Amino acid sequence: MAKYLMSVWGPDSDYEKEHYGYASQEEMMASFEATGKFNEKLQQEGYFVFADGLDAAKTATVVDGQGDKPIITDGPYAEAKEYMAGFWIIDVPDLDVALKLAAEASAACLGKVEVRPMQTGPEA
Amino acid sequence: MVASLAKRFGDLDIAEDAAAEAFTVAVERWPLDGIPPNPGAWLTTTANRKAIDRIRRESKRDDKQKEAVAMHDDTPHEPLGAIEDDRLRLLFTCCHPALAPEARVALTLRMVGGLTVPEIAKAFLVQETTMGQRITRAKNKIKAAHIPYRVPEAADLPERVSGVLAVLFLVFNEGYLSSGDHENSVRGDLTAEAIRLTRLVRALLPDDGEVAGLLALMLLIEARRTARVSATGELVRLDEQDRGSWDLALIAEGHALVRERLAAVANGGSRPGRYQILAAINAVHTSVRDARDTDWSQIVALYDQMLRVDASPIVRLNRAIAVAELDGPEVALAEIDRHLGSSLDDYHAFHATRADLLRRLGRSGESRAAYDRAIELAENAAEVALLTRRRDQLGR
Repeated sequence: MAKYLMSVWGPDSDYEKEHYGYASQEEMMASFEATGKFNEKLQQEGYFVFADGLDAAKTATVVDGQGDKPIITDGPYAEAKEYMAGFWIIDVPDLDVALKLAAEASAACLGKVEVRPMQTGPEA
Repeated sequence: MVASLAKRFGDLDIAEDAAAEAFTVAVERWPLDGIPPNPGAWLTTTANRKAIDRIRRESKRDDKQKEAVAMHDDTPHEPLGAIEDDRLRLLFTCCHPALAPEARVALTLRMVGGLTVPEIAKAFLVQETTMGQRITRAKNKIKAAHIPYRVPEAADLPERVSGVLAVLFLVFNEGYLSSGDHENSVRGDLTAEAIRLTRLVRALLPDDGEVAGLLALMLLIEARRTARVSATGELVRLDEQDRGSWDLALIAEGHALVRERLAAVANGGSRPGRYQILAAINAVHTSVRDARDTDWSQIVALYDQMLRVDASPIVRLNRAIAVAELDGPEVALAEIDRHLGSSLDDYHAFHATRADLLRRLGRSGESRAAYDRAIELAENAAEVALLTRRRDQLGR
């Protein structure tokens, strides 16, 4: 088995919009429901490790503890057009399974999904 | 051999190195000890031992490799079928959609085709270091992202096979389209390599219509390769080729495959895809000894079928070329000017086709301008030579 991060990205301004960047209230609710179902399926199949949505990047804080005293800075690590808005961690046999799940995740959450392997090796 | 080692050890580098070491040992020992009774088995066994040695040496023992060592230490030689299956798995891995298209082509030639990095770099006109990095990056991704060594499940197979065929056709075209560039003979070898790999896929998936179609298409194009460029290095169009120099054996094999597919489709098989239709078009062209006997109505009908699979401007352009033979250059010119001027303005074949049609209509001035534009855009030396001569032969 191998672990992957599946992440969804979007502009931070989406958080201030009426439907968080979705076209309508109905679309948003339908997407939440589809995502919930997808998560249940992941759990049933034993692939689920963790999943959640993230709050806006402007609520983030960066800490640099490499010096004598930690330096605390308001805001995300780097300025970007789009930030990670939510993610799953899955544990699956290989990339083909991960890509299939990512396609389902993308259709459910209405966004592109990045699939990135974790550096830890497979657990056989 | 690299394919079967890669499957066992889950690591392309170990597989490649072990295979190379086994050959080195063979070169050193066989002249002294004599050639073993089964050289293939000897090499595979030796390579397996080398791979295991290397894993032990580097103590790179993650679980999968430990398992591989445990399972495969001193395993008996596998039958040929299993090795071929391994090659197929490796081919699917090299053509995995998670890899960049240019990396798929390079990796396939390196790992399945056995070409060296300098050869591949030369064929694709890029620096050796660039090509080396491209291949290394792709191998690293296969390992890090756990791209499996596996023939895809039945549900995914059609799409994945079509990905493999796209890579093989790219390899073929890279060789074929460069066949007028005499300075670069390695590129020509790519057609042979593409045919060899497509034969392999065909042997493993004999019932796949598009695999048969692509093989037929390649054979029918390859059969005309020597006739395609003149002694002076100029491209020779189909209607002016010396048909006596076509390779009749390749044509016969291509025709047999096309007939096999026609029969399969007639018996209720799945509808033909692009490669089968293109193969059929090439079969029509190669079934007459004189270009004037070409059945253009059948070719136009096949392009109509092709448009239903792929309604791209390039297919429309090729259809128009056939229409010119059937209904005259004026009809064809009207068609391409009406539909294709905006989408194909940067494509040399669009301007070359217009130039030819205008020439046949006696519109020399416009024809000359179109030849100029085609020459400006064409990259192949043999094609530029043909276009230049045609332009210079225009009357004022």
